[in-house]
Amino acid sequence: MAAWLARTGVRDWLFAYVGAVTVWLVTVVIADGFGAMQTLTAGLGFAVFYVLVATGQMFVIATGPGNIDLSIPATVTLGAGVAMSVMAGSDAMIVPGFLAAIATGIAVGSFNYALIRALRIPPIIATLSSSFVVQSTAIWYGRGLSIKPPDALQDFTFARVLDVPVMTLVAVLFTMAMAVVLRRTVYGRSVLAIGQNPKAAHLAGVDVERTRWVTYTLSAALAGFTGALFAGFSGGVSLDMGAQFLLASIAVVVIGGTSVAGGRANLPGLWGAALFLFLLVTMLNAAGVGSGVRQLLTGVLIIAVITAAGGEQRGR
Amino acid sequence: MAARTLCAALGAALLSTTAMAEIATGDTSGMRIALSNNFAGNSWRQAMLKSWDEVSSQAVAEGIVAEAPAFTTAENQATEQAAQIQNLILQGFDAIVLNAASPTALNGAVREACDAGVVVVSFDGIVTEPCAWRIVIDFAGMGTAQLDYLAEKMPEGGKLLEIRGLAGVFVDDEIHSGIVKGVETHSQFEVVGSVHGDWTQTVAQREVSGILPTLPAIDAVVTQGGDGYGAAQAFRAAGRDIPLIIMGNRHDELTWWQEQRDATGYETMSLSIAPASAQVGFWVAQQILAGREVPQDLLLPTLVIEQDELDYWLEQTEEGGVTNAVYTLDWTDKMIEAVAAGEPVPPTPTAE
Repeated sequence: MAAWLARTGVRDWLFAYVGAVTVWLVTVVIADGFGAMQTLTAGLGFAVFYVLVATGQMFVIATGPGNIDLSIPATVTLGAGVAMSVMAGSDAMIVPGFLAAIATGIAVGSFNYALIRALRIPPIIATLSSSFVVQSTAIWYGRGLSIKPPDALQDFTFARVLDVPVMTLVAVLFTMAMAVVLRRTVYGRSVLAIGQNPKAAHLAGVDVERTRWVTYTLSAALAGFTGALFAGFSGGVSLDMGAQFLLASIAVVVIGGTSVAGGRANLPGLWGAALFLFLLVTMLNAAGVGSGVRQLLTGVLIIAVITAAGGEQRGR
Repeated sequence: MAARTLCAALGAALLSTTAMAEIATGDTSGMRIALSNNFAGNSWRQAMLKSWDEVSSQAVAEGIVAEAPAFTTAENQATEQAAQIQNLILQGFDAIVLNAASPTALNGAVREACDAGVVVVSFDGIVTEPCAWRIVIDFAGMGTAQLDYLAEKMPEGGKLLEIRGLAGVFVDDEIHSGIVKGVETHSQFEVVGSVHGDWTQTVAQREVSGILPTLPAIDAVVTQGGDGYGAAQAFRAAGRDIPLIIMGNRHDELTWWQEQRDATGYETMSLSIAPASAQVGFWVAQQILAGREVPQDLLLPTLVIEQDELDYWLEQTEEGGVTNAVYTLDWTDKMIEAVAAGEPVPPTPTAE
């Protein structure tokens, strides 16, 4: 059993789900069984945004040590602002709005890559400084902006089938597709190869720089798209809407069983980790513990899940 | 001066005290006032900077001061702002109006400024250093006011959800203490759930969505501003009846309130601090430079919006922004007089 878990890579992400189910059950007990299903529904809805940004972050982190995208929060805000102004509240403009948000992300991602490649700035500094530029652009762009999303978009983000949000179902399909990209395409295999050893990957004929460019662009494009969707869900654009995704995007990736050292990544873990983080806060809120204790327990439980997942010796 | 203070102390019966209020007219036309600001990344701060820009450009045009630029730090760090204050001292500013990253961590830099003869006026994010002036906001009063309103609206009481601000920040603790005090006074109310919305619409929506399924029917939501619309979205997404949600003067909150009022007769109230408190900071600094004796601790009223004033105030609110007012030198003068005399400060000025 243990050997099978290790061989298939299931152990990498299993503990995120164990953690999520555990905190959910505890929440249900605290609330005397009240609202068990609705809590899960709320979690599945919010998890969509975390999973989308974390998918991009995961590909970036998988390309090896030092690779990280800190411009995600600013790109979410700018993508939301661009999308809402293109949509201008009209249902007919929803698709162009999303395309504009993705295009914004592609521009930001290419800019990030240019800083990293041409100016040889380490990714953590390059994406941090570009986030200042992007956030300032969002502030400048967002002044006096009409902020309401089109009704059809808002209705879509609230729509459900059997208590499961429709956008969650769509996002699950998307992550399944990305899992195939990661495992079965030249691009996905290149990301993992670079993450394990960029020199060896280069000698094996992988176009290292092109892969990096695609990866940073993918991350920013997903952030821009997420911003547009999130603006629909939360009823408009606000300048601070992206801030919550900075640490969350990284935490979801790590709790989900992706190696920070690069070269190992998986998509199922992102859902488990996003649900775990959401339900953890819900559990502590429902228990009514003070903010100090809550932050302490959040830290301790995150460490517990990561340790449980990586505690034994990893087989390859 | 002494005569005026004495008169004021004799009581409000002496109406002549207000007539004796005098705006200091010392020449400040060659002087320079800087705004040191720690953060610009939300709509309130953006409106604050705009209000500063309005008052400073007008004052420069009228020759009241030589210049009054605004400086904002990038990282919202006390160390960064302390360095900024030291730079402003070296650049020879006569006064620094300060929205501080920390009530205590900047005290060293503020002390240096005072020692260099620079007037320091802190507002919103105030500093405890005694040599600085403080424009204090009654945050605890913002908490109690919500419960007072609710007690009037629903005398039979009810179950409350509390949305708090950013954990560990002074303002959050103050408003929360006011709400706790209000619940003690009006014991028919009970807080059945509490979350931290970080004064951010999207965070509030997420946190309320999470806790809502575990809660019984909620009668009212007490808030800290910036979180009311997110709470409404969360109730809508959960398919619950929307309770009375206290709002925080944000454009999205007031717009939503107006829509609900027109559709269903929805009633609530809204309160927050006007971003133009920066203008009060400007005028206080100018008056001190002009030679006026000003008490170290001043007070700023909360901007409260009631049902019948909603349309007026929504017009005063920039799209995507926060309800704002314009604080003039005259208003600041009245406020300084009221504080010096120990009387209630004048209400937020309106256009009429």
